Amino acid sequence: MEPIIHVKDLNHVYPNGTHALRGVSLTVYPGEFVAIIGQNGSGKTTFVKHLNGLLRATSGEVWVDGLNINEHTVSEMARHVGYCFQNPDHQIFCDSVEKEVAYGPKNLGLSDTQIEGRIQESLKAVGLRDLRKVHPRDLSKGQRQRVAVASVLSMHPAVLNIDEPTTGQDYQDGIDMLNLIDRLNQAGHTILFITHDMPMVARYARRVVVFREGEILLDGSTREVFREIEKLRSTFLIPPQITMLAYQHRDFYPETILSTAEMVDQTLMHLNRHLRKPW
Amino acid sequence: MSEIVNVENLTFQYKRGLQPALKGISFSVNEGEFIGVTGPAGAGKTTLLSCLNGIIPHYYSGNLHGNVIVDGITIAQSDFRHLANHIGTVFEDPDFQMVSISVEEEVAFGPENLGIPSEEIEARIQTSLEKTRISHLRDRAISTLSGGQKQRVAISAVLSMLPKVLLLDDPTSELDPIGTHEVFSAIKELNTQIGMTIIIVSQDIERLVENADRIFLLSGGELVLSGTPRQVCMQNEILERVGGRTPQVAEFAISLFSSLGRSLTEKQLPLNVADASILIQELFDEVEVG
Repeated sequence: MEPIIHVKDLNHVYPNGTHALRGVSLTVYPGEFVAIIGQNGSGKTTFVKHLNGLLRATSGEVWVDGLNINEHTVSEMARHVGYCFQNPDHQIFCDSVEKEVAYGPKNLGLSDTQIEGRIQESLKAVGLRDLRKVHPRDLSKGQRQRVAVASVLSMHPAVLNIDEPTTGQDYQDGIDMLNLIDRLNQAGHTILFITHDMPMVARYARRVVVFREGEILLDGSTREVFREIEKLRSTFLIPPQITMLAYQHRDFYPETILSTAEMVDQTLMHLNRHLRKPW
Repeated sequence: MSEIVNVENLTFQYKRGLQPALKGISFSVNEGEFIGVTGPAGAGKTTLLSCLNGIIPHYYSGNLHGNVIVDGITIAQSDFRHLANHIGTVFEDPDFQMVSISVEEEVAFGPENLGIPSEEIEARIQTSLEKTRISHLRDRAISTLSGGQKQRVAISAVLSMLPKVLLLDDPTSELDPIGTHEVFSAIKELNTQIGMTIIIVSQDIERLVENADRIFLLSGGELVLSGTPRQVCMQNEILERVGGRTPQVAEFAISLFSSLGRSLTEKQLPLNVADASILIQELFDEVEVG
C-alpha cells in the first residue's frame, strides 16, 4: 500500500529562531488512527500544520495523498487534508451551520445540487441535521466542534487532523466526539488527533506518536508506546491509571493493559488459574 | 473548625434562562477545606461559583432565592468592590483574566487599586509569588509564559488581595500535563501550608479524588452527591448516570469484586494506583495461601 502521509527529515524554524521541528520523519498508511501526544511546545501542532500547507517546511519533504505539499496551495490541499482547530471558534465564521458547511464546497465551484448533497451528508455524519439553520453562536461548545468537523468533512478529505478534540469538554462530550471520529475512521478517513487525554488515547488510538522538543521520541502501536513508561516519564507523560497498575504487576500482566475491562478479565483469569476451586 | 461558606436553599434562574440553573442547593464549607466540584456541562458549576463570588447577583441579574454567606458576608447584600478581599476567583482561560504586561504588575494590580501603601504591596507581591513558586518569573512578560505558569500568575494576582477562600473554575482544562501538575500542586500547597479554603471546579476526577477533602457532584442544577472522595466513588452508578466517571482504579476494583461475588467496603476502595496495587497483591497472596 502507498503511504497517505510521507514526511521526511522535516525541519521548521519559526521567524523568531525557535527550532520547532528537528528532522521529523513519519509515514502513515490509509485508514490509520493515530494519536499525537507530547507537552505544549513539543512540536505537535507545528507538525500537523505542515500536512495541509498552513506552515511550510524550512527543509525536508512532505507528501500527502500523493501530492508534494510544496507544489500546492492551502486551498488545494483542503480537498485532501482537513484540519480542525483546537478551538472551534477560531474556525467558524458563518452565521448559520449550513453556510459554514457549504463554504468549502462552494469555493470548489461545485453545483448547488452537489453542495446540498455535501451539506446533508456532512451534517448527518456529525449528527447535526436538525440544526442546519441555527447560528453557531447558539450552540454548545461540543456542537460547535461538530460544526467545525462537518465543515471540513464537506471537502471530502482523505486525512483528518483534529487538534485536541476533547479539551474544555466534559467527559461525555469527549466520548461522543471520539466516537464520531472513530466512525469517520471506519468510513475510511485516515485520522491524526492531537491530545493530552491519555485514557482517550488508550481507548481509541491504534498508533501513538510521541513528540519531545521537536523530535519524535516514540512511534508504535498504542500497546507498545504505553509500555515505555520511563521514556514517557522523561517528557512528563503518564499512561492511564489502569495501564500503570498492570505495569506495576507486570509478572502477572505480560501485555500492556489499556482498559479496566481488560484488567478485570486478566485478573479473573489469573485468580482462577491459581485457585484449586474457582471463585 | 469554623464555617467559612454557607449556602442555604440556593436557587437561581438567569434572566433569559428557560429553567433554573441552580435548584435548591445547600451546603457549608469549613475553613481550610479543599472542595472539588464536578459534573457535566450545563450542570451549574460555574453558576454556583458566580453566586459565591458575587458575580451573581451583582453583574448577572436573574431570579435569586436562598442565602449565600462567605466569610461572614451575605453576598447579595454586599458591596461587590470589597468582596475580592474575602474571595478570589481564577478562571479557565488565564488570558481572559490578565490585564497587565508583566507578572509583577499583574500581581500588584489588585492591591494598587485598593490604595494600599507601596511597602505593603511589595510584601504582598513577594508572598504571593513565593506561595505559587513563581518568584523567578517576577520580571517576565506574561505573554512569554507557559499555560501552567500563566495560571499560577492568575492565582498569585488573586492571593495578593489576601482572600480567605479561593475559587477556581476548571483552571487546568486548557493546560498540558506539566501545567496541570504545576497548578494542582500549587493549589494543594496553599491548602496544606496556609490553610487556604479551596473550591475548585474540574473534570479531572483523578486529581480531585487525590486532593479534595470532599467532592460535590452537580447535575441539572442540583447537588446530587457530596461526600469524601471514597463516599462519592462508591456511588459510581450515580456518577456514571450523570455522564461522569470514577477513577479507573476504583472502577476496576468495583467491577472485579462484583465479578468475584464479593462485597467491597468503602475502606477497601482504591483511589490511586498505589492503593490498587496493594489490593491486587492481597488478592494474589490469598490465592497462593488458599
